[in-house]
Amino acid sequence: MLAFYGISPKIKFNMKKNNFFGMGFGLMIPVTTGIIPFGAVVGTLCSEAKFSFTQTMGMNFFVYAGAAQLAAIDLMTKNAIVWVVIATGLVINLRFLLYSAAMAPYLKNSGFLVKFISAHLLTDQSYAIMSANQDKLPTNKDAVQFNIGAAACMILVWQLSVLAGYTFGNFAPPSWSLDFGVPISFVALVLPTLKNKSYIVVAVFSAIISILLYSVPMRLGLILTAGLSILLAIYLTRKTAP
Amino acid sequence: MDASYFWTIIIFLALGTFSIRISVIAISGRIQISDRAKELFSYIPAAILPAFIAPAVFFHQGQVNWLQGKERLFVLILTVLVSLKTRSTVVTIIFGLVALYAIVHLGGGL
Repeated sequence: MLAFYGISPKIKFNMKKNNFFGMGFGLMIPVTTGIIPFGAVVGTLCSEAKFSFTQTMGMNFFVYAGAAQLAAIDLMTKNAIVWVVIATGLVINLRFLLYSAAMAPYLKNSGFLVKFISAHLLTDQSYAIMSANQDKLPTNKDAVQFNIGAAACMILVWQLSVLAGYTFGNFAPPSWSLDFGVPISFVALVLPTLKNKSYIVVAVFSAIISILLYSVPMRLGLILTAGLSILLAIYLTRKTAP
Repeated sequence: MDASYFWTIIIFLALGTFSIRISVIAISGRIQISDRAKELFSYIPAAILPAFIAPAVFFHQGQVNWLQGKERLFVLILTVLVSLKTRSTVVTIIFGLVALYAIVHLGGGL
């Protein structure tokens, strides 16, 4: 008890002063405007495909990857072969390999459970907000807390959007263009990471290549663009190394 | 739809996706991540986020005639400027959504 009374004010103080979980959660809120319409569409399509409530929320919780889910639902309603659906979804999700690599240095001293949760909750948005704010996160532990806070906000809004879409149909008014929230939130999140000219060159290259590769099937254009852009980064940073 | 068809797909998709997500994180305690690797990791946002932004805006069929249906491209350029000026995610997103709504609904007839 003595230890409890002795330690608790300090813990409280630290939590208030350095609440990185809350900071991540709060900063994620505006970013989630972009995912609400996608969640609504996924929920609506699940209901139209006659998926049960358990199936819808099971897919949504265990796969938890909107773009892959959209592709999988579409293929399943067309009765595509099992492995074609799985392969398509996994190709779309290959980009998570990059986020896993980028998150690895922060998580190297974390326990199994924290690694497990952080990995399952990795999304484009949560990684992007983490990278945009990493200068404000002094230690790896702060970064991990920030990331879990942002990811918690993300999964909450996503599950609620899908649930609402499943129950009420496509509720997000198309005239509000909430889907535009995705590209513009990525604009706000990518700009702080462009620290010098070579980052800007890589970003412009990525934008151009993604447009050129847009019609490549199975959404391979995205991961190809990322791969080519990383190759460019390798080349640029080699050249400028002393 | 057959339940076994659905769950076979979902289970493998979930396991595969999780394997991709945990891959490098799982071995992070056992490997030494070099400074060179960390430098390259810092390029990941620049390498992938524009690939979400550009097609979403460039290929969107708009409805505002005086911008040849490219109001999203126009608003995106303004949004980049606002983001650079304010350095605020909240302001950037609100500005982008309001500006697009204003152009489509108030300026659509121009």
